Amino acid sequence: MSRIDWIVLIVTLCGIISYGIYKSRTSKSLDGYFLGDRQMPWWLVLLSIMGTQASAITFLSAPGQAYTDGMRFVQYYFGLPIAMVIICIAFVPIFRKLKVYTAYEYLEQRFDIKTRTLTSALFLLSRGLSTGISVFAPSIILSTLFGWNIYWTNIFMGGLLIIYTVSGGAKAVAYTQQLQLIIVFTGMFLAAYMVVNLLPSNIGFIDALQVSGKMGKLNVITTGIKKDGSFNWSDQYNLFSGIIGGFFLALSYFGTDQSQVGRYLTAKTTTQSRLGLLMNGLVKVPMQFAVLLIGALVFTFYQFKPAPLFFNQAQIEKVQATPYADSLKSIQHQYDSLNKQKEQYVSQFVISSQQNNSTAAIEKSWKETQGQTDSLRTEFKKILQKKEVGGDANDANYIFLHFVVDYLPVGLVGLLIAIIFLASWGSIAAALNSLASCTMVDFHRRFTKKILTDEKEYKLSKLYTLAWGIFSIIIAMFAYNLGNSLIEAVNVLGSLFYGVILGIFLVAFFLKNIGGRAVFIAAIITELFILFIFYLIKTKVIALGFLWLNPIGAFGVILVAMLLQSILPYEKK
Amino acid sequence: MEKHTDKSPFFKTWNGWYAFVLIVLVLLIISFYFFTKRFA
Repeated sequence: MSRIDWIVLIVTLCGIISYGIYKSRTSKSLDGYFLGDRQMPWWLVLLSIMGTQASAITFLSAPGQAYTDGMRFVQYYFGLPIAMVIICIAFVPIFRKLKVYTAYEYLEQRFDIKTRTLTSALFLLSRGLSTGISVFAPSIILSTLFGWNIYWTNIFMGGLLIIYTVSGGAKAVAYTQQLQLIIVFTGMFLAAYMVVNLLPSNIGFIDALQVSGKMGKLNVITTGIKKDGSFNWSDQYNLFSGIIGGFFLALSYFGTDQSQVGRYLTAKTTTQSRLGLLMNGLVKVPMQFAVLLIGALVFTFYQFKPAPLFFNQAQIEKVQATPYADSLKSIQHQYDSLNKQKEQYVSQFVISSQQNNSTAAIEKSWKETQGQTDSLRTEFKKILQKKEVGGDANDANYIFLHFVVDYLPVGLVGLLIAIIFLASWGSIAAALNSLASCTMVDFHRRFTKKILTDEKEYKLSKLYTLAWGIFSIIIAMFAYNLGNSLIEAVNVLGSLFYGVILGIFLVAFFLKNIGGRAVFIAAIITELFILFIFYLIKTKVIALGFLWLNPIGAFGVILVAMLLQSILPYEKK
Repeated sequence: MEKHTDKSPFFKTWNGWYAFVLIVLVLLIISFYFFTKRFA
């Protein structure tokens, strides 16, 4: 990175920290610290919800995903607007009426203490681990790309935000998220503009879309139905898994995950909470479409410029130091010559297309060449997966950043790197705030007999926030040694627990004749069942997309609880 | 107090808002379908 990039990066990060500290003043009570005195307007709630959901990986991984797999990932968000409506109808009025700090408090009022504690513990476990991975995931990318020390990168990624998160609580989190999102969107817009601007002069925006479309990258809607008419259950992202699986995931995440519930509980009124959520339902899908479109445009860009064989250079260097170095050389040689051919075909395609001439013959040759380069990439990935190499065969997270570092002008690179930090901070800060609120409200306050003053509870809450911040950094440090499989498992961790947590809440809201004992046992049985299914998926005994675990978990709890309640006596509350 | 402030802005009732969000989703999915067809 150049000196100007470093200046842009440091100024942006320091600016955010200072702003967070400046906005830190709240009343010294749990209401002030965890819910910003319940004074936030809807637009701040909206930005806070969006900033919590969008991590650095959202802005790094999504363009890479579009580059490799096309834009169909957007379907993952189709269930979100429906979930926002259900949450506004069923969840928000109850949470606000009861004036809870955490979503799990409601479960004690509805069921019993053990159900509340189990659900809150499941949340702490999954959110605590995934926050550690949220620190590690962008850190490893930056450290690989720039050769930074991973441990120091983890400390900066997870440590600096602690300053304002500890001092200002929910209010500082919300205000910094607002500024962070403005910077993130500005940077992404500039990056998108630059991709189109860097294309050859005769290639316009529509031409660029045509190029990526012809290569199957604009596959926004896919059905997951195979040629023989059967449904592909292992297909992760299609219209049906997106609407059904995505709906249950979003319902669980926004309705029962304290990192999100804590955001809309900060609103002034129920109206402001609802507006924030509904606006999120309106803007999330177009926003994700735009981020993915950048990836599709980057794909077009690399049709005219030589694309690297593998976007994670560190992995190429790893192979070079093994007996497979000669194979790599041969693959690289073929890949480079195919790239030159591809460049000619795509230029001819655009010219013919602009002159309204037939493009069928050129298209055929171009697609064949693209198929050959894809095969060479697959061949290289197979080498990476060999035991002697032990590399990471997924370079999707590096594609967009590779483009940024290689082609964007000085200053903009620093801004894009700052965006990675800011997007991470937004979601990590909200997670720390919610982890501390559950620890304080669902455990400390609930299980200690000593009554504390408001100020003491406030100080203790700050300590819990700090402790969870340190815990996340420690997890991030360990993640480096854990390998890809566990990190991947942690990434799907949400789907392992969310379905069950959602099932508990759905029983609480809609099945009034079911008591605490039935739902508690049902939750444990279903959770074990989900973990068993996950094991079957990992060992390739069954093929199932992880999004389906959400509806299975939710319906599992409902059905088992209904069954148990028909056997067990109903315990009066 | 809370109930008093829970009025739906722009639409007469919250159901109007819910319908609006769902209609926008359907329109987006339809436009994405044509987008996919147009550039496939």
